[in-house]
Amino acid sequence: MAAAARPLVSVQPLPGSLNDMSTDHVTTVALPDVMKASIRPDIVNFVHSNISKNSRQPYAVSKKAGHQTSAESWGTGRAVSRIPRVSGGGTHRAGQGAFGNMCRGGRMFAPTKTWRRWHRKVNVNQKRYAVVSAIAASSIPSLVMARGHRVESVPEMPLVISDSAESIEKTSTAIKVLKEIGAYPDAEKAKDSHAIRPGKGKMRNRRYISRKGPLIVYGTEGAKLVKAFRNIPGVEVANVERLNLLKLAPGGHLGRFVIWTKSAIEKLDSIYGSFEKCSEKKKGYVLPRSKMVNADLARIINSDEVQSVVKPIKKEMKRASLKKNPLKNLNVMLKLNPYAKTARRMALLAEAERVKSKKEKLDKKRKPVSKEELAAAKAAGKAWYKTMISDSDYTEFDNFTKWLGVSQ
Amino acid sequence: MGEEVMVAVPESVLKKQKREEEWELAKKQELAATKKKNAENRKLIFNRAKQYAKEYEEQGKQLVQLKREARLKGGFYVDPEAKLLFIIRIRGINAMHPKTRSILQLLRLRQIFNGVFLKVNKATVNMLHRVEPYVTFGYPNLKSVRELIYKRGFGKLTQQRIPLTDNSIIEQGLGKHGIICVEDLIHEIITVGPHFKEANNFLWPFQLKAPLGGLKKKRNHYVEGGDAGNRENYINELIRRMN
Repeated sequence: MAAAARPLVSVQPLPGSLNDMSTDHVTTVALPDVMKASIRPDIVNFVHSNISKNSRQPYAVSKKAGHQTSAESWGTGRAVSRIPRVSGGGTHRAGQGAFGNMCRGGRMFAPTKTWRRWHRKVNVNQKRYAVVSAIAASSIPSLVMARGHRVESVPEMPLVISDSAESIEKTSTAIKVLKEIGAYPDAEKAKDSHAIRPGKGKMRNRRYISRKGPLIVYGTEGAKLVKAFRNIPGVEVANVERLNLLKLAPGGHLGRFVIWTKSAIEKLDSIYGSFEKCSEKKKGYVLPRSKMVNADLARIINSDEVQSVVKPIKKEMKRASLKKNPLKNLNVMLKLNPYAKTARRMALLAEAERVKSKKEKLDKKRKPVSKEELAAAKAAGKAWYKTMISDSDYTEFDNFTKWLGVSQ
Repeated sequence: MGEEVMVAVPESVLKKQKREEEWELAKKQELAATKKKNAENRKLIFNRAKQYAKEYEEQGKQLVQLKREARLKGGFYVDPEAKLLFIIRIRGINAMHPKTRSILQLLRLRQIFNGVFLKVNKATVNMLHRVEPYVTFGYPNLKSVRELIYKRGFGKLTQQRIPLTDNSIIEQGLGKHGIICVEDLIHEIITVGPHFKEANNFLWPFQLKAPLGGLKKKRNHYVEGGDAGNRENYINELIRRMN
C-alpha cells in the first residue's frame, strides 16, 4: 500500500543489451523513502567538514630542528642583544643568534607535533543523517544543476538504469551507455576541466584538478561495471551498501549527479528503511523526521482551515492625535460635552443682558432730573417720613410733638 | 476570441473573494450600528449635562440663600465638612522616610507637582496627617475640578495613560458604572458619588506645572506662612496657577 502511494521512477532501458529487456520495454520502480528525507545542508556541511579530516596524514617539523647548537647568551654589558649566541669561533656561525623563533636558523614558534588531533569523531546518527540528506538532494534536479552538473539532457531524476548495465565490461560500451542516457555532457565537462592546480599544491603531489562527473551506484557485489566505468575521467563508482558522504556531497555541497542501477535503488529501501519501518541493515535506524511535514507556507496560509478563522485585515491604523485643550478649543469641547454650546450661548446672552441693563440704569441716573420728577420724589419722601412716625407711635409721647412737627 | 473570455478562475481566488465580501458586509453593518448608538448617546449626554448644570446652579444659589438667612437671624451658617480633597505633592523624592514614601505611593503621588482627588474619611485623613510636610491639599470647587479634568485629564485604560479626547474612552473605562461622558465623570468626582473610587482611580494622577508666581516656602506649613498642609479653600487659587 505504501509502494502504491509512492511516485514511480521509470527505469531507462539500455540499447546494446536489449536482449534481456525486449519483453518489458519500460519498467518502473517505486521511489525509495530515502529520497523523501529532509535535506539539511547544515548537517551535511558539519559532517563533511569533520569526515574529510579523517584521511589526513600527520605533518610536523623535526623535533631537533633549531636546537642542534650549544648556544648561550653573552649576557649584558657587551653592547649586543641578549639572545643566545652560538659558541665557538672560526666560522660565520660563531656568535650568531640561535634558538629563538626570531633568529635565523633558530627553531620555529610552537613546532608542529605529530600528536595533533588529526581525526574527528562524528556521531553515527549524524553521519547517517548526512548521507540520507545527500541522497535525497541527489534526486532534485535544481539542486544537482546548482551544484554545477550538466543534467539538461537527462530524461528523469533520479536517473535509474536497468541492471544490464552491471555486466558492462568494456569502457567503450560504458561511454556509449552514458551518451544514451544523457549523462555524457557531465562526464565531458569533467574531462574538459582537467587543469593544473593554481598554488603550491602543484609541487605537493596535487598537481591536477578537475570537476566531478556522475556517480554510478550499483547494487550487486562484484559487478563488472566497476572496471568499465572507473577509467572514464570524472566518473566515480560506488556500491549502494557503502555510500560515501565525501562522494555524495563533494565539498560539503549537496546535489551530486547520481546514476542508480535498478538493483541499487531497490536495495535502498532495505538499507535505510522508511520513516516508520526500521532499516534491516542498520540496527534500529529509522529515517529522520522533518521539523515541518508540509513546508509549503503559502499553501498552508491560504488553506481553508487557516483562512476560515482568520480576522479581516486592518487597513487603517488610527494613531494617537495631538490632545487639544477643550477649554480653549470650542469644537473639541463640543465633542466632549454637547451641552457646552447652549451653555456658552446662554452665558453670552446673559452677559449682554446684564451689560445692557446696567447701562440703562446708569444712563437713567446720569440724566438730569426734570422738575415734576423732582417734586414727586420730594413728596414721596415726606409721605414716608409721616408713615414712619405713625408706625412707631412717636405721636403718643408729648416730648416729641415739639420738634417732630406732627400731631395726631 | 470568445474562448479566451472563459478563463478558469482558481478556487482559492473565488473563496477569497467571497470571504472579502462577507467581511465588508459585516464591517458596514457594524459601522451603521455604532453610528446609531453614538447618535442616541449624544442626546443622552446633552440632557445629562443640562441636568448637572442646573444642579450646580441650584447648589450655589442654595448656599447663598442659607448664608443670607443665617445672617438675617444673626447667627452663622457653618458649611458642611468637605467630602472631596485635592492633594498636590510639593516636595521631591530625595531623602524621604520609607514609611511616608510608601504612603505617598499609595496616594499615587510619585512625582513632584502631581495631583490627585481624594475622598475624606478617617483613614485618608490619618494618611494625610503623616505626609503633611510633603503635600498641600484643600477643597476644590467646581471650576477647579472642571478645568483639571478638561485640560489635564488622562484616563487609565489597560495600564496606559490615554488622553480624554473622546467620551468613548470614558465609556470604555467606566461604562459599567453608568459614567459615559466627561460631565458624568466631573459630577461623580465633585459630588463624591457611589462610584467615586472607580472614577478617581480611572483618572491618571494629574501632572501639573510648577506654579506661576511660585510657592511661598515649601519647608513650612501653610499656617506658618509656608505651603505644606491643609490650605482649605485657597487650594483653588493654587490650582489656577498650576493648571
